[in-house]
Amino acid sequence: MIKVVDVHKSYTKENETIKGVSFEVHEGQIFGLLGPNGAGKTTLMQMIATLMKPTSGQILIDGLSADKNLLDIHRKIGFLTNEIKLDPMSTPNNLFDFFAELYDIPANELKDRRDQSFARFGIAPFADKRINELSTGMKQKISIAISLIHNPPVIIFDEPTNGLDILTSKQVTDYLKELKEQGHAIILSTHIFSVAEELCDEIAILVDGRIAAQGTVEQLVKQAEAENFEKAFFKIYVANHVE
Amino acid sequence: MGKVITVFKWEIKKLFSSWRRTVALFLLPAVLLMVALNIFPILINYMSTGSINKKPVTVVGAPESFRSYVEETVDARVFTYDYKTYQEYGKLMSDKESYRKMLRKGMLVCYFYSGDPKIDFDDEIRNYYNNISADDTNAFSRAVVYVAYDGNSLTSEARAEQFKEGVLKDYQASLIDKLGGDYSVIGSSLFQTDGFNPVTDFVGYRTTANTAASRVVPGVLMIMMYYCVYSLVSDMFASERDRGFMAKLIMTPVSRRKIYAGKILAINVIVSCSTVITMLLMFFSSWINRSNDAMSLLPFGMLLTPSELLIILGSIPITVLLMTAVCISAVFQLRRMQDITVNLQLPLIYFLGDFFVQMFRGTRPITIEYFVPLHNTMELIAETFKAQNKAWHVIVIYLLNLILALVVLNRTFKKEENQ
Repeated sequence: MIKVVDVHKSYTKENETIKGVSFEVHEGQIFGLLGPNGAGKTTLMQMIATLMKPTSGQILIDGLSADKNLLDIHRKIGFLTNEIKLDPMSTPNNLFDFFAELYDIPANELKDRRDQSFARFGIAPFADKRINELSTGMKQKISIAISLIHNPPVIIFDEPTNGLDILTSKQVTDYLKELKEQGHAIILSTHIFSVAEELCDEIAILVDGRIAAQGTVEQLVKQAEAENFEKAFFKIYVANHVE
Repeated sequence: MGKVITVFKWEIKKLFSSWRRTVALFLLPAVLLMVALNIFPILINYMSTGSINKKPVTVVGAPESFRSYVEETVDARVFTYDYKTYQEYGKLMSDKESYRKMLRKGMLVCYFYSGDPKIDFDDEIRNYYNNISADDTNAFSRAVVYVAYDGNSLTSEARAEQFKEGVLKDYQASLIDKLGGDYSVIGSSLFQTDGFNPVTDFVGYRTTANTAASRVVPGVLMIMMYYCVYSLVSDMFASERDRGFMAKLIMTPVSRRKIYAGKILAINVIVSCSTVITMLLMFFSSWINRSNDAMSLLPFGMLLTPSELLIILGSIPITVLLMTAVCISAVFQLRRMQDITVNLQLPLIYFLGDFFVQMFRGTRPITIEYFVPLHNTMELIAETFKAQNKAWHVIVIYLLNLILALVVLNRTFKKEENQ
């Protein structure tokens, strides 16, 4: 479903942020991207989400390339990053209507989708409140609901549980599991090892713009000869990081 | 086009979702400008007289007819009167230095002289009317009213002019009723025209008001337009990109250009409406300015013909589009909000400078000025108020600004898409 082939990205001639990254994500799979700050996770995810063009290499979404089928790809991708802040004066209802119109969701389907989505995250009681009156957790839930309004087969979540309380985090991770079971291909970036261990079928550890190691949690632990996943991550990081 | 309208409607809805935003964009700048324009004459008055609401006139040897005229006439009470006898005035004059100082401060002196110190001013006028109604072809009056002011001060001169035109002329006309006796019935009509009748005095008032407006209105509109464009571009483009909301919009199956077009359309409609409201307020300000203060920036009688109004209304959306293009180009070239804010404020300084140049310039624009984007709009509006514009000016300015706006937008979006 997602194919990343030898992707490079450089903002300046001297510095390359992404240095030849390749991987594939299949339907019904959660692919984790782990790495320290500045490793290039967000840049990579933004390139997959077509918000940025790679300097070289190819990214295919369901066999489509952004160069030729940009808008078709947008119909297939749901992108969420915790950097996105919704308009403070809008209400969840307004936002939902607006994005539904942009995604061409038929009016007869809109009500069902809204009801389902709002019920799933408990948004309904706050549907007519302004975003600036809502808690961080509620804002994140609304962001998720809007990002997935068009039921995309590919989902890219950049640290979706960042800054959330335990209960909201649990709701988000449970939802990700559900989406996986429904056959969505998911790329997930996180700093939380337990979330990665629990959710990801395959993990790539990104260090200095390169994939330093890739595999299942068990494979990574074995490869690093570590006691657990957290220690394996640090071993891989130290072995690959260039000062 | 459907999606452009969707984004447009969203932006408009967003604006009206907060009354603060609505007021800040539609009313606040216009009202503040109006207040500034109306405070200006008060400030000048204060600087010249030391008083906010008084325009003192020292009246020497005031006859009864003048005192009663002032009491009866509302317009005459724009000034405040300090009545002095000839003896008192003589004392005042004896100290030359303090007398000059008073004139420099803006004091006006209105001196009634009948031609003979022993004869009352009113009696001299009454005799004159009696004589001419008795068919005395040699009848003449020695009565004269002097107005003294500081000739080195433009403020003082303007106020003296206002006093002569607004008060003395009307007083002179009223003398025939007060003192004309039989003559007022036989020789002259008692009918008086209303000094502020917009029909009878239309041309005179319009010429004065539009000449003043050509100095003030273009700059005010340009500053107003840029302020609104700058605020909206900052909000719709820079802040949304900063908040990441722009990324969410771009991720929808709608092309970037359509999203940007919807936003630009919203900016254009909002700013154009806001500018038209400001212009209407300026007309309103002019038409309620019946006292026609000498220092007024928008004198009574500002008026445009329908075709002139259309020329100005047509230039507004084109100018807004060009300003929007310039601001968007700056936003897309810069990443940090602080840099964007500083850079977007710089043109405000330019427009402020251009406003003052327009306000005080005594020459007509040279041809090259019609080819300087945005400055040419200011010249177009100024010329339109003075009814001096030529067809080629309008065509060149419209086309040049429109083409430039489209080129800047196209280049900016192309560059952004390739990143």
